[in-house]
Amino acid sequence: MRLSLAAMALGATLLAGHGAFAAGARWDGADDLPVNPLPCDGGAGTVVSKAYDGGKAVNAPNMAGKPITLVDVPKLIGIGYFNATSQGMQEAAKELGNVKVTTDGPTEAKIDEQIKFIDNYITRGVNGVLFAANDPVAIAPVLKKALSKGIHVVGYDANSTPDAREWFVNQAEFNGIAKSMIDNMAKEMGENKSFAIVTSTFTTPNQARWIAEMWAYAGKCHAKMKWLETVEAQEDNILSFNQASTLINKYGDQLSGLFGMTSVATPASAEAVTRAKLCGKIAVVGLATPNAMKPYVKTDCVKSVVLWNPVNLGYAAVYVTRAVVDGKLKPGDTSVEAGKLGKLMVVNGSEILLGSPFTYTKENIDQFNF
Amino acid sequence: MSATLTAAAPRRLRFAVSQEWLLAIAILLLFVGVGLYNPRFVASRNLQSILLGNAYVAVAAIGMSMVIISGNIDISVGSLIGVLASVSGGLAVAGVPSVLAWLIPVAIGSAVMAAQGALVAYLGLPSIVVTLGMLSILKGGLISVTNGVWISNLPDNYHLAQWSLFGVVPMPVAFMVVLTIAAAWWMRNTALGRSIYAVGGNAEAARLCGIGRERTLMMVFAVHGAFVGIAAVLFATQLSVIQSTVPSNLELTIITASVVGGVSILGGTGTVVGATLAAVLIAAIGSSLIFVNLSPFWLRAVQGILILVTVLADIYRRRRRGLAR
Amino acid sequence: MSERAAPRRLRLPIAAHEAVLLTILIAALAVLATLTDRFFTLDNLLNQGMLMTEVGLIAMPMTFIIVTGGIDLSVGSSLGMCAILLGYSWHNWGFPLPLAIGFALLCGAAGGFVNGWFITRLKVPPLIMTIGTLALYRGLAEGISQAHSVRGYPDWFYGLGQGALFGVPSQLWILGVAIIIFGVILARTTIGRSLYAMGYNETASRFSGLSVDRIKLGIYTASGLMAGLAAWIFVSRVSTTRSDMGSGVELDVIAAVVLGGTSIFGGTGTIAGSVLGLVLIQLLKDGLALTGVKGDATIMVIGTVLILSILITSFAERRRDVARMARPPLRQTATDQTATKQGGTP
Repeated sequence: MRLSLAAMALGATLLAGHGAFAAGARWDGADDLPVNPLPCDGGAGTVVSKAYDGGKAVNAPNMAGKPITLVDVPKLIGIGYFNATSQGMQEAAKELGNVKVTTDGPTEAKIDEQIKFIDNYITRGVNGVLFAANDPVAIAPVLKKALSKGIHVVGYDANSTPDAREWFVNQAEFNGIAKSMIDNMAKEMGENKSFAIVTSTFTTPNQARWIAEMWAYAGKCHAKMKWLETVEAQEDNILSFNQASTLINKYGDQLSGLFGMTSVATPASAEAVTRAKLCGKIAVVGLATPNAMKPYVKTDCVKSVVLWNPVNLGYAAVYVTRAVVDGKLKPGDTSVEAGKLGKLMVVNGSEILLGSPFTYTKENIDQFNF
Repeated sequence: MSATLTAAAPRRLRFAVSQEWLLAIAILLLFVGVGLYNPRFVASRNLQSILLGNAYVAVAAIGMSMVIISGNIDISVGSLIGVLASVSGGLAVAGVPSVLAWLIPVAIGSAVMAAQGALVAYLGLPSIVVTLGMLSILKGGLISVTNGVWISNLPDNYHLAQWSLFGVVPMPVAFMVVLTIAAAWWMRNTALGRSIYAVGGNAEAARLCGIGRERTLMMVFAVHGAFVGIAAVLFATQLSVIQSTVPSNLELTIITASVVGGVSILGGTGTVVGATLAAVLIAAIGSSLIFVNLSPFWLRAVQGILILVTVLADIYRRRRRGLAR
Repeated sequence: MSERAAPRRLRLPIAAHEAVLLTILIAALAVLATLTDRFFTLDNLLNQGMLMTEVGLIAMPMTFIIVTGGIDLSVGSSLGMCAILLGYSWHNWGFPLPLAIGFALLCGAAGGFVNGWFITRLKVPPLIMTIGTLALYRGLAEGISQAHSVRGYPDWFYGLGQGALFGVPSQLWILGVAIIIFGVILARTTIGRSLYAMGYNETASRFSGLSVDRIKLGIYTASGLMAGLAAWIFVSRVSTTRSDMGSGVELDVIAAVVLGGTSIFGGTGTIAGSVLGLVLIQLLKDGLALTGVKGDATIMVIGTVLILSILITSFAERRRDVARMARPPLRQTATDQTATKQGGTP
């Protein structure tokens, strides 16, 4: 019994000592990269034109106009988001007629597994690798290896260090997403209110960057909004629901907004708000795919869902790779033709911008099916 | 260690009871402590969230406890829950009546586990290896078949969570309580139930007493499979969509609940009441960390310390009893 | 039961298992090599060797631990913790990089020592102890790093993970040395024989004067140390440090060791078997991928191979090992044996 008392004492110490580890310290993302918040009024950010900083496939065979084989290695397979990008790739491949794309990857978002997959495909021999990195730095050596073997490398969704790939198809800039999220939240819940965030894990690079940019933008343009807490919920539906419910229970009336940072967390947060019968009292804004959000948008529980179109993202990635192989997209170019998407702009030296983030609302959500 | 193994059965049960009291006290202290810090923690809404969101863990932990008591382990449980939840949802969406969509996964779960049990019982294969292999097979199979597409548009009457017993106790919680009590009674008061302890405690002695080790083991796995099936249905019917992937680390949570609940990993001792209480305690701790503003980065470290402290307390207690005897 | 007799009697079924494994391996190699010409090349094989180094290093002490009837589930988390400590002590505490590496190795060993101390002194079952530290060490990795990753190591640091010596990836040399050291210890020394004896019957080993606790403490510490070494190689290979590194590695390691014929009940197993198991899993994954099998199907194949191999061995063992089965269970030893055998690894 004495030991169990000791256990209680330990627990009590932990509770008492929580000040030392308290949350609420400034979130600056899981990396030390600088933040670059957009201006509040909606004008474009300071765009610095930059020279091409991507890598180059060494002695790539000239396959211009010839059939090519590409492999797509997303962060993980078996989730709706990457099913959608994969669908877009197949559409593009079908339109082009001379591209074959296979999607393959790890079943969990683990960087070492992803490296093994890419490595295997380099050995197997493909003309191009498309990737969405689990870690921007860790994936670099294997991508450089691909480049050195004459394989074209194009990223989408989650970037690597620039010199490890040729081009990156950027769905939307981090600060653009951040602005869109915070502005929508401010509009829905008002300025003097408090909000909390449900994210996947603190180590997921994209989510961490978005949160860091949101912090910077909120501090600059909506200084009165209060940031309560950020919780982790993996990519797990039930866990996200539980975490969101706990936040609602903890803050009660104080909580006026919930951000979902993943396509899993947002619908789960919306469900938690619906179950707590607090629709209209707690605004849910987040990144999510339209199909998962339709029920909540239709009941007016969620007013705005922020996302790019992942089908188009995959589609653009294949078009970009084809253009690189055909020599139609070279370092220094300022735009690229991408089928039905028209001309896409080159930004940041070697990134191709898909467009501004899109906000789905009750009016337009039925037009999308993914 | 060997003290518990040679101890008479009633004494063993008394030990287990004290573990349950310890857990109950811990839960109570947690609620009082955190409740004083932030009264919203003990508001009925939060209590309901804690119980409702984790009832399936407790139900799976009941079956897991039986498996561990019998001297085995099952690490395929998380994958199986993922697979059965998708099966259940798939059936419901395909227009099968909800009752069947609830019952068929239970039958399949029982069959899959019985098959693993047969490998363990009749061929003497180590359960950790068999279930490790099954984990890969189920996980890979689920992704191959579903491609991770979410199951949505479930019929309204499919959701168990929206019904409640006598209008107050939500169905999943009712399941958790009733199944725990039923399993505890069955394991204590029937010959079949007691034979699980016998097989886990001393297989040789059990054989001499005329208890068929093989048959008992297979039964344990089959019963565990049924509990896993029920857990999967509770899991599937919670939200309006089913994510057809394997929930990560679920097996670890379930095993932890069983072990913290006082089921000795050596086999032969423990009851399912402790496992259910432990599942509640773990869920409550997860929730309380958010309430006391502990940096979420430390959450896993606290869980680890909790497991170790519980185990140490248990061992210390056993040792003192052993000396006192 | 004298400690010398135990391994000798058990050698036969082990050899049988290794033969089975080797046959499967050669058959798999032959089939895969005919299906694709990219598989059986020196380049690819060396590359695969490089990718399996971390798992291989951890599998060495894990073989020892499982031979004694124990288990260590915390290795993946130890790897994560050491990686974070390496990066963090260098980047945030200003340690010179070589010191940071030493510090990480030391902390890995300390983590293993903690496991061993609780297991031997307080008699915590290994499975439970290491489930606890699995959560704890991962928690420390996340807590210390606050989920920040550390990048930008100097170039020389990458030599270990990305460089090569005499045309062979550097870390493969380390793996080779580790295999020889651990293999010799298990097969040729008193410590090795003691490990078998402990796994076969711990109580008897104690009575026959083996320092069971010290040996156990040693092997769990070695396990932590090797996890630290694997962390160093891993960080050097992927050039960054993340707190989620190595999660799930424990299951890969255990699969390799068990596939290699080490019985989870203790008492049997060899390093050669573990290496074969490791190579078989790695090449199967690679070969299947090269022939166009997708990731989800590959893990199903691995699971099936794991169950089948243990099934085949079990049949072989049964036919051969009638003597062992028929050994009359004395009342006292039967009880003890149940305790030892199930200790931690039901």
